[in-house]
Amino acid sequence: MQLISSLTDGLLLGFVYGVAAMGLTLIWGVMTVINLAHGPVIALGMFGTYLFFTHLGLNPYLALAPVALFGLLLGFIIYGMAVHRVINAPHLSSLLATFAVNMIIIGLGTAIFSTSPQNIDYSLGSMQIGFLTIPFSRLLATLGAVLFTAALYLFLYFTRPGKAIRAVANNRRAAELMGIPSSQVLALSFGLGTMLAAVAGGLIATFFPFTILSGGPYELKSFVICVLGGLGNPLGALLGGLILGGLEGLIPTFMPVSWVPVVEFGLFVLVLLVKPSGLLGAK
Amino acid sequence: MNLLEINDLTSGYEGVQILWGVNLSLEKGKLTTLVGSNGVGKTTLLSTVMGLLRPWQGTVNFEGKDVTNLPAHARAKAGMVLVPEGRQLFTEMTVLENLEMGAFSPRARVSFKQNLDKVFELFPRLKERAKQKAGTLSGGEQQMVAVSRGLMAEPEILFLDELSLGLSPLLALTLFESLTRLKKTGLTMLLVEQNVSMALAVSDYAYVLAEGRVHLEGPARDLLKNDEVRRTYLGI
Repeated sequence: MQLISSLTDGLLLGFVYGVAAMGLTLIWGVMTVINLAHGPVIALGMFGTYLFFTHLGLNPYLALAPVALFGLLLGFIIYGMAVHRVINAPHLSSLLATFAVNMIIIGLGTAIFSTSPQNIDYSLGSMQIGFLTIPFSRLLATLGAVLFTAALYLFLYFTRPGKAIRAVANNRRAAELMGIPSSQVLALSFGLGTMLAAVAGGLIATFFPFTILSGGPYELKSFVICVLGGLGNPLGALLGGLILGGLEGLIPTFMPVSWVPVVEFGLFVLVLLVKPSGLLGAK
Repeated sequence: MNLLEINDLTSGYEGVQILWGVNLSLEKGKLTTLVGSNGVGKTTLLSTVMGLLRPWQGTVNFEGKDVTNLPAHARAKAGMVLVPEGRQLFTEMTVLENLEMGAFSPRARVSFKQNLDKVFELFPRLKERAKQKAGTLSGGEQQMVAVSRGLMAEPEILFLDELSLGLSPLLALTLFESLTRLKKTGLTMLLVEQNVSMALAVSDYAYVLAEGRVHLEGPARDLLKNDEVRRTYLGI
């Protein structure tokens, strides 16, 4: 019973991990850039939700809408400033460029918010299903994660700009030849990726305390998840998120919590060795 | 009236000059062929004309306007459309989605339905394959998608790079027949083709490119009789 309740806990968290990882994998899939500024944007999403809640009294779940918009705009800015000019350069250039953005956000964030932990004081109580106790905040976060995933899927497969993103990801040169302004599409994709990061941050903030540095671990988890699910595959990211969340729920019932990262990154290395294309990876 | 004017165009890659001053003009409604051996710069010329490659010198005028500095997507929007060598389909997307992407520019979007009907009439096989991923089609079918995607963009001028490359003679013939049908609709086309005899047979006018320059030009019929062309490109 303890097992099932830990697993449920982990899986619910896994959906939120999935959203963060989807942002990373989307950016990689479209422009083969590894966004090292992903973590700080997750942290900014946390602070965004926090600020809307404490200063404007906005319900943290409603605050996700402006936080998402903010994440999108922030993505445009990061793309325009740091990514666009190195988009055709070797990977190291974009790694360094996004790492620089990472340092800038963390520096500014530390100056403004300091590194003392904050939390959103908003409790919804919990729900009892048989022997399971599920906090409503986890349930709503999962619901939010599922909604954003579904929205992303519908956007990519059923709207013109979404299809243009897939076309650019598939063959940027051909997209350009068909009249698709590929630079704008890349900026949009980057914006969507950071939007997902900010949303994931906002969701996490509703149940965990955080500092401006809190994004880092989630960024690392996102890497593990992306590799599990296959880099560039949004659906794989969700699956990877669930696997990782499930593991995080289960591992502490068998061994000390400090072993969680050991198992996670052990798995990461194992997948890279055995099936580098990821569990759902085709290429 | 000339739809496209290429004046003294020079271009190349990373310090290697490929084009050494190309002058070429395309008359509206005509099918023109560009002939040349491998490596003389045919694809480079098309890339430069389309804006995928920055020209070093020279100008490209389309419909009387200088488009030399426009990005590729803006040229496509204006009606210059390239069916690239090696097809370059969106392999992970369905045939229908490929055609939708062809009609991305606002100009082409308006007449999406009519153009789709036209394209399906030209290549009925694509209608059956509409929901299939483009990457899973045979080579010939993929080439049909590539041409159709170009047509969906409602081109004023269509550039076709190595249309018959890697296709069986029968399929190549089918595609060439579709070109003659397209010509009857008044579409201006520039064909770059290694199958010189077939290309010259359907064309109005032709250019021979050699060493990065236009070496010969004239009505396609005359070039078919030209001794040098026959020896070098037709093997007769």
